Amino acid sequence: MTAGRRRSVPVSSWQVTGFVALLVLGFLVAAQLASQTPRVRYTTQERQPLVETALGLQAQQEALKDQIEALRTEIAALERGAEGSDALVRRLNAEVEAARIAAGLTALTGPGIVLQLEDSPDVAAPDTLAADSLVTGEDLRTVVEELWLAGAEAISINEERVVGPTAVVDIGGSLLVNSAYLAPPYQITAIGPTDLYERLSQSTGFRDFVGVRATRDGIRLSFAEGSDLVVPAYAGSVSLRYAMPDAASPAPGD
Amino acid sequence: MGTRGGRLALTALAVLLGFLVVVQIRAQGGGSDLENRTAQELTLVVANLNTRNDQLRAEVALLQQEVAGHEAAQARGGSSAGQIRADLERLRAWLGVSGVSGPGVRITLRGPIPGTAIGDLLNELRNAGAEALSVGGVRVVPGTVVAGEPGALSVENTLLDPVLVIAAVGSPATLTGTLTRAGGIVAQLEATYPDISVEVTPVDRLVLPPTERALTPQSARPKL
Repeated sequence: MTAGRRRSVPVSSWQVTGFVALLVLGFLVAAQLASQTPRVRYTTQERQPLVETALGLQAQQEALKDQIEALRTEIAALERGAEGSDALVRRLNAEVEAARIAAGLTALTGPGIVLQLEDSPDVAAPDTLAADSLVTGEDLRTVVEELWLAGAEAISINEERVVGPTAVVDIGGSLLVNSAYLAPPYQITAIGPTDLYERLSQSTGFRDFVGVRATRDGIRLSFAEGSDLVVPAYAGSVSLRYAMPDAASPAPGD
Repeated sequence: MGTRGGRLALTALAVLLGFLVVVQIRAQGGGSDLENRTAQELTLVVANLNTRNDQLRAEVALLQQEVAGHEAAQARGGSSAGQIRADLERLRAWLGVSGVSGPGVRITLRGPIPGTAIGDLLNELRNAGAEALSVGGVRVVPGTVVAGEPGALSVENTLLDPVLVIAAVGSPATLTGTLTRAGGIVAQLEATYPDISVEVTPVDRLVLPPTERALTPQSARPKL
């Protein structure tokens, strides 16, 4: 018998199948573990009606937003249709159109960046709070403020446009923007000058934010640049109950 | 392992695999992240969604009135300039390009505080329903940021006074209650920055100036 001689061992088909199945099993177990976020997962029965109510309200909200957008489109068409030869109406329409764009009631497109913030995949280090590894409202507000300072002209968080009265609110581990519930990951889209990212990355405030929240706390922060990004229109209320146009301000059309 | 044992093991493995595939697809297929929330969080989310939906319904009603106004004007064969002007006036006040007046609160801050803390305070005021805001007499509009280190704050290229006055138009009772409640934003700021004092005063009539900021986008264009 020589050292180079081999003994062939028959491999049955069930062994091959079993091996492949075990590989897939390993992959699935790993994928399942990786998909568990640090946010606590609850499975108790009593919350189910609340989840269903919230989902129902979210669906209603989407329908109402669609209705508002459709009505605004209809009004804009009626206003244009009323122009005729009336120079005053034409001028007022142009001013309304400009005000709608400035107010965020029109979807905009253009160059810009998308920043994505996600909870840290790691369990918080022993000397930090577990909450530090989660994206907070303050994180979103900081990034939005830094983007404004860098020259952004229009910003949205997921599908919510950031407008004058927009508040970003923490409720436990949940985030509400314009009172709409947002699910992670959080994507902040900003349209602005073509060097928006350069301006942002040169800001001391933004660099400090990245150093503390991404490098130290492990929040996952990624970005992408684009030339035709879209920021949706604000589909909320523009009604005022307490604030009245001040008589000292010039009236539109004057 | 005999053939019978092998088959049994494979069957068990197949069942486990099937279960894990379903769990994984459900976890990644998203469903809703709401499933991960506590009952307390869900209650607050539901309350917020209800409030927002009520506001949206009111806006729908208002817009339907506007449509009816335009249609009536056109049916009369007249111009709807009056309707458009009213729409524009409302929009400009909401946006901040015209001055507004109304009841609200005046907040006086004394002591060193960073710009980010003012941002937190403005966020809380917005969440409490403030309809118009100014900081140091400068109207807050989209893009307005109070920046700087304690003692050197600025807004819209205007250096702010060491005694900072923030004006918010809205319900004086709601705004005061939200700001000054136990554990509220004022208590948080005073705990974080022990050298500051914050005074909240309800006011019957505040006058806020229009913004001087250019709000017409240069790089962004309407999406058709």
